[in-house]
Amino acid sequence: MAKAASGRSRTVKHVPEIDLLPVMNLFCCIIPFLLFSATFLEVVVIEMAATEGISSSGGGATANLMRSEEDRLQPKIIITDQELFIGTASGSAHVAYAIEIELYGDMIISFPWDSLSMKLEEVHELLTEAYPQIDFRKITVLTVEETRYDNIITAIDLAGAAGFDQPGLQVAPTASVTSAMAAGGGN
Amino acid sequence: MSAPSKRHVPLLLGSGKSVAVSRGKDKKVTLSLTSMIDMFTILLVFLLKSYSADGQLVTVSDQLVLPKARMETKVELKLEIQVNNSVIVVDGDPLITVTPELLNSGNSIPVLVTRLRDHLEYSRLSRGTLTDDDMKVNIQGDVGMPAILLQRVMASCSEAGYVGQNLAVIKIIASEGGDD
Repeated sequence: MAKAASGRSRTVKHVPEIDLLPVMNLFCCIIPFLLFSATFLEVVVIEMAATEGISSSGGGATANLMRSEEDRLQPKIIITDQELFIGTASGSAHVAYAIEIELYGDMIISFPWDSLSMKLEEVHELLTEAYPQIDFRKITVLTVEETRYDNIITAIDLAGAAGFDQPGLQVAPTASVTSAMAAGGGN
Repeated sequence: MSAPSKRHVPLLLGSGKSVAVSRGKDKKVTLSLTSMIDMFTILLVFLLKSYSADGQLVTVSDQLVLPKARMETKVELKLEIQVNNSVIVVDGDPLITVTPELLNSGNSIPVLVTRLRDHLEYSRLSRGTLTDDDMKVNIQGDVGMPAILLQRVMASCSEAGYVGQNLAVIKIIASEGGDD
């Protein structure tokens, strides 16, 4: 038997190869099945509370909110075409001014949503501390007629994240919203 | 001289041997599957992550763009109302064209109320009774539609007897961020 100069025998070790073909076959079966069952966009829903009407004078909304203490304390997000407010039937506070942004070549109205998010969390914390016996989950989005749907959804979404997960919607003309705010003692 | 018959044409590839073997190298050509297995494993993990046992319950119309939200409530199979700036579609059936007159008059939309009442009555007759789930409706709205149109549609649903109204949105994945 031939030996190397060093005296050691040159035996070649054969590492056994794993047969990958069955694994490939398995993958070829699984991948088409998963491709058919995959969902790349998940549709979820926002459950809305029953809508409440608002009279043209705007006083109806305030009267409705006065029904009980819980209703009186129920917060509202007020969206006009120029400003964003948050408040209760007792009063409202300015949150942010509207901004115009360009979307697919069109100028649309949006709002600085971070400000609303912070305010909502602040309001929820204040209300829960002041009235621990009440579970504050309801909120109303009061908006003017022209407000875009995505602005409403964003406001509802942020309210849900802050703990107000039972949203309602009221839509009224700009004049009615302004008078409702005045009746509520906007500050 | 006659042309050679097919029988005399030399066979280049030999009898049943690969090119490499016929050239006398006597080496087996094997396809390396390792890199393909790596790729398939990555693909498999990605597909398993987006696998849904429920499938897609709701068909989103290509005529509208749904807004995005971080909500978690799963969509259920209900009567679908699709609304955009030009038309209101109930259960796949275009019902009414959205016009400025429609937005400026009244609270509910009479044609929509009638259609929804008919559907509710049909459900009641076919099942014998109505549960709370039967009185829910999914509204798919386009991002650009005005609030007044949404309010009219919701008011029509309430008037027809659909007490539960769900707004369909696209779920924002956590890694996607929320600023879009």
